[in-house]
Amino acid sequence: MPISSRFVVGSSIVLLAIGFLTLLGIVGSTAWLGEKSNSYFEESNRSRALRVSAVELRSALQSAESSQRGYLVGGNEIYLAPYDAAKAEALAQFDRLKQLLPSSQQNAAVLDRLSKVVSEKVAEMDRTIALKADLQDSQATALFRSNRGKALMDEANLFLSSIIRQADDRLETLLNDQRQNATLLRLATIIGGLVIVLVVAGATATVFRYAWEVSRARNELNALNLTLEDRVVRRTAQLAEARDRAELLVAEVNHRVANSLSLVASLVRLQSNLITDQTSKEALKETEARILAVASVHKRLYSGGDARFVDLQEYLSSVLDNVEASMRGQGHVASLRYELEPLKLKTDSSINIGVIVTEWVTNAFKYAYPDKPGEVRVRLRRLADGKAELSVEDDGVGRADGSAKGTGLGTRIVNAMARSIGGDVEYVAAGSGTVARLAFSAGLDG
Amino acid sequence: MLRRRSILAVLALLHGLPSLCAQQGPSGLTKPVVLPLFDPGKPRCSVPADLGKVLAFAQDNERKFMQGVARGLELAAKERGLEYRRAQAANDPTRMIEQMMGFLDGKVGALVASPVDPVSLAPALQKVIWSGAYVGTVVPPPATTILNAPQYLTGKVLGDEAAQFIKTRLNGKAKVVLLTHDSLQFLAPRFTAIRDSLKSVPGAVIVADISPLTVDEAGGLSMMRTILLANPDVDVVLGADTVVLGALAALREAGKVRDSQFLGGIDGEPAAVEEIKRGGPYKTSVSLASPVFAYAMGQHAADWLEGKSIPQAMDILPKALTSQNLPQYEADTADPASVYRDGKRRDEYLRMYGNICYDTREQYLNFPWSSERR
Repeated sequence: MPISSRFVVGSSIVLLAIGFLTLLGIVGSTAWLGEKSNSYFEESNRSRALRVSAVELRSALQSAESSQRGYLVGGNEIYLAPYDAAKAEALAQFDRLKQLLPSSQQNAAVLDRLSKVVSEKVAEMDRTIALKADLQDSQATALFRSNRGKALMDEANLFLSSIIRQADDRLETLLNDQRQNATLLRLATIIGGLVIVLVVAGATATVFRYAWEVSRARNELNALNLTLEDRVVRRTAQLAEARDRAELLVAEVNHRVANSLSLVASLVRLQSNLITDQTSKEALKETEARILAVASVHKRLYSGGDARFVDLQEYLSSVLDNVEASMRGQGHVASLRYELEPLKLKTDSSINIGVIVTEWVTNAFKYAYPDKPGEVRVRLRRLADGKAELSVEDDGVGRADGSAKGTGLGTRIVNAMARSIGGDVEYVAAGSGTVARLAFSAGLDG
Repeated sequence: MLRRRSILAVLALLHGLPSLCAQQGPSGLTKPVVLPLFDPGKPRCSVPADLGKVLAFAQDNERKFMQGVARGLELAAKERGLEYRRAQAANDPTRMIEQMMGFLDGKVGALVASPVDPVSLAPALQKVIWSGAYVGTVVPPPATTILNAPQYLTGKVLGDEAAQFIKTRLNGKAKVVLLTHDSLQFLAPRFTAIRDSLKSVPGAVIVADISPLTVDEAGGLSMMRTILLANPDVDVVLGADTVVLGALAALREAGKVRDSQFLGGIDGEPAAVEEIKRGGPYKTSVSLASPVFAYAMGQHAADWLEGKSIPQAMDILPKALTSQNLPQYEADTADPASVYRDGKRRDEYLRMYGNICYDTREQYLNFPWSSERR
């Protein structure tokens, strides 16, 4: 599953936080264990001093005893040389031991008993030496043979051994604790280091994966773009081909329609030529003109490039030329002038416009100038509000009574056509003549 | 005091019994030798002439151990058709010498002695040997057959029991108190063996290795009180039964006794056996089955009088009494004859060395024999 940039940022923050906390843990545990090591060190020193004191006391007592026995056996005072020093050392070490031994009820009892034993032992040695010095050998020997001195030494040794062992046990415990501390520190550092390595590896992996995925996405996008361009080109070509086929088809259809309409118009004209009744003849002529107007649109369509829109300037020019020619052929003498701005309109609307202008120009030729020449002016222009206006103006006799002349079919056609394109029709008297206007907006395309 | 009494006894022997001094005989083996194992297939010797079919026992005192000896001897004598005589010296060496001379004058064919004072008794014993009689002693020379207890082995049996207990029941860790008997140097191998056994358990720490002022229950009690002052918690106490019983009393007094402790002694004292039966901290007592070895000595005496070759020396092997083997041990000591007849069971108690008979009696042992001497 691809990873998002949000995931990358989030995971990076989490990993950094873990790394920071791990580092904090390592530093904290190192400081804590260091402090513990210091306290172990101090306690170890105390235990070691206690042990040394007990060992020295035992050694001093043994030295004094050896000195005493040497003197008692041989009477040679040379053996007494170390006696006083050993005795003094024993008493000094005993004082030191009393200070170093941790205070407890049991240790107090031990010290009390040991104090008596040491005192008695020293007194026994002093007494035997004094007796020997006073030449009371038998008493000295008797005291020696009582084994009291050995028993006292054994008992002193019992207590001192116990103290030494306690100190050793404590030292061993402290050593084990220190070893455990070192192990803990090593473990914390290794675990912390591993965590940090994992964090760095995780962050690196995330970044690398993200970068790899971005790169892959970019490559995929480039590949897609390349394909898309090909596809667009192919599709465009297909569309162009389809459009060309459609345009050709439409042009063909329009051509056929135009031809058919021209054929219909010819048939109508042939029919009108055979009819003698002037009214009918004119009616057919009008019908022919209307059909030609429609056919003209289709001619525009198959000759033009775009079947959806009709260039009104060209189309209306053609329609008006046809109407003028037709009207002149019928003997009307008015002239036609048109002024058309370039304007494109939807095909359907254009047909309506063509029919309307045909009606109005035909009417103007027929009714505005019944017996004299005049000018019919057609104008197509854009209005400011996005609409367009088609106007047919004449200077003829005008619509004195306001009603349409003829059968009224033309007016109905105009109104129907105008409605279908949403246009407004108005007839305005202008001077002696009339102006017919159609304002429309539907399908405008400039 | 003992030494003074010994000197007096010897003087009495020399001055009061001049006839004995005139009849000198061979001095026997005075230099230590290592004896081979006893060979029961050795050829027969002459039958001692002019000696009565009598087994005499010169007994030092009436302690339980010696009562067992007397019982074993009497049983063997009865079975082998010997007359059994017993003289108890009440720890008086002079009296013992006098009793011994009486036996000599009575031409007893066999004599077993538990000397009050070995030094003072030795000349009398030699005289009896020279007379052609069988002389068996409980430990000291001279004798045609010496009965000894291997001290190192005795201590090792106790030490091994303690070490096994520490390993299996105390997870290999224990604070051990060793109550020695410094006034008797010949017992030192016992304690050496105990220390050696404990060395096999690195977690066993001897917190006290000390001899009580007196080797009895009071001495053990007093010393254990002092030891508890220095070492409030002890797991194992080893020594002679009497001092260990005193130590047990001290532990009870201090409220420091518990069933998971191991208290073990040597000698098979009745009070110790009772403690073992009770199933408390007193786990074992190493005992020497006196009726068994005494029965064997009685049998040897009878064999001697029939001209057979008998052992020059005999070890009574120490046996650690526990609540499990105590019934069997009591059955064995109650019926030593069945043990002697059963070779396998006999070997559990006795180990015999060397050969001697009436014709080779000049090879009697006249040095402190021990199978542990190398």
